[in-house]
Amino acid sequence: MTTPQTSQLCFSGRTLGFLCLRLWLGLRALMAGVEKFSARVTIQEPLLGADGAPDPSGAIVEIEKKVYGLSHYHAVPDSLATKFAEEPLLPALLTRPFFAALGPALLVLGLLLLLGVATRWTLFAMGALYTFLTVGLMLIGQDAGVSWLAIHIGLVALALALAEHNRIALTRA
Amino acid sequence: MNPTAPASGLSRRRFLSGSAGTLALASTPALFSIGAGDSATKPLRLAVIGFGAQGRVLVEALLKVPDVRIVALCDIWDYARVYGERLLKSNGLEVAGYRDVEELLAKEKGLDAAIVATPDVFHAPVTNACLRAGLHVYCEKMMSNTIEGARSMVRTMRETGRLLQIGHQRRSNPRYLVARDRLLGEARLTGRITAAQAQWNRAVSTDLGWPKKAAIPADVLAHYGYPDMHTFRNWRWFKNFGGGPLSDLGAHQIDIFNWFLGRLPATVVASGGSDYYKNHEWFDNAMVVYEFPLAEGTARAFYQVQTTTSSGGGYFEQFMGTEGTLRMSENPSLTTIYREAHAPSWEEWVQKNYLRANAAPAPEPGAKVDARETAALATYRLPVVTNKAIHQYHLENFFQAIRGRAQLNCPADEAFHSEYAIFKAIEAVETRQLVTIDEPVV
Repeated sequence: MTTPQTSQLCFSGRTLGFLCLRLWLGLRALMAGVEKFSARVTIQEPLLGADGAPDPSGAIVEIEKKVYGLSHYHAVPDSLATKFAEEPLLPALLTRPFFAALGPALLVLGLLLLLGVATRWTLFAMGALYTFLTVGLMLIGQDAGVSWLAIHIGLVALALALAEHNRIALTRA
Repeated sequence: MNPTAPASGLSRRRFLSGSAGTLALASTPALFSIGAGDSATKPLRLAVIGFGAQGRVLVEALLKVPDVRIVALCDIWDYARVYGERLLKSNGLEVAGYRDVEELLAKEKGLDAAIVATPDVFHAPVTNACLRAGLHVYCEKMMSNTIEGARSMVRTMRETGRLLQIGHQRRSNPRYLVARDRLLGEARLTGRITAAQAQWNRAVSTDLGWPKKAAIPADVLAHYGYPDMHTFRNWRWFKNFGGGPLSDLGAHQIDIFNWFLGRLPATVVASGGSDYYKNHEWFDNAMVVYEFPLAEGTARAFYQVQTTTSSGGGYFEQFMGTEGTLRMSENPSLTTIYREAHAPSWEEWVQKNYLRANAAPAPEPGAKVDARETAALATYRLPVVTNKAIHQYHLENFFQAIRGRAQLNCPADEAFHSEYAIFKAIEAVETRQLVTIDEPVV
């Protein structure tokens, strides 16, 4: 005989499946958001010899490093941003606030999903966000990106269908 | 004096240390320090002698060097000298102007060094006078327009014990030092070097003019040996004053052949001529082939200088071997390292920051028109950056040597070997015969 506490941890296959989806979608959104605050920058450092001492020539080498910071925020790569700007059906009035919100929104949605806060609405908001992004990619002819986001939206839809099996969440909704 | 500095005799870095091919170099003056205490830290007092195009380049670099102060400027052309005095004044430097070097040396006391950027013909007499006056000298290349003049400079350097740095500025450039010591020396990226190539091609240009009001009086020109103002302004093309394009442009690059390969060539054949410009004495083009008997086998080095076309890939010095090719240039955008497909991995050197791999270009369909073509090579770049003017490193090395904190990167007796090889190339052009390059005697 199991105690009530133990029975709560005996998750069904659908619960485990949903938790996998929640975890994946949460991490995916969180990491995508974090990466929007990253950049590859070139820094200069002394060239070092085998002993770790600066090379006798005094040479300075350029080293490319990945860094994170608020100042490095970019919603989409420059190449895509240019195409969005050139698309007449995507006025700056719409794209500017969308791009400003995209990174923070992914961070917040990813975090909410991982914590299990308002899971259904969080999933729905995530699906809506991916859909809006898909519209933009459709207009600039980025078919590979559209397909990629379609997979995400399919997973969001599946998660919503399984949301009644949600467990380990801060809120029940 | 820096306790780490040798008491006497400049030991040289040698690329091929201990190899049979190393230069049999003569002795050099003792490493000189201006002394302990205040002198070692006090700003060095400099005279700049010659304020033409190269003099201006050096002054621009000198203005960025800490702890040196230009106090005197000498040029026989009032127009250039007054411009220089105003330029220096605008940078907060009041300098004494002189037309004549002897007057400068007689009146200016407390000088530490002279920067000589006169026409080649004056390098030897001016440098020798400065050395004998107790100054250390940084003299532009070529050392002289005659081998005897260059030889006299080495002798005076030895007699006086002063420092004489020759302006082969690549020898102090960190990019060149890393290429030579790390890429070719430590990593041996090219494998056995079998060939080298260097060039400097320039577009057709018109002769230099001058504001008519600023012309030097005929008696002053005659005093310094110039027949007219045109010769004064275009001295590089005249045999009594300069050494022609092989000297002006080739000197730097042929010096790189010798420095990187660690020895003098054994022979030279060459062709060239004055085929375009009708009012110049020196040839306007030359193609030279040196033969270097290296420890691993013979390597041939081709050098060309064209003053009638700028095409052909700019200016560079390239060392080609069995496993890779190093193409160096003072212009970083013209520097590339090529890796042969069968060469051992270069990842170790990438990790050490000696190299950076370039992105592989997408293969172009149909680009290969002959099945015997070697596949396109992977390319790398040198990640070393230079944040200073290209002459500044060499000048700073000179000043550090004066302070006893470094050895000269291009002392006159070492430069003499390279210049000897250039004089031999000029001889080969003029005689149209294979010329043997024996060990130069100072």
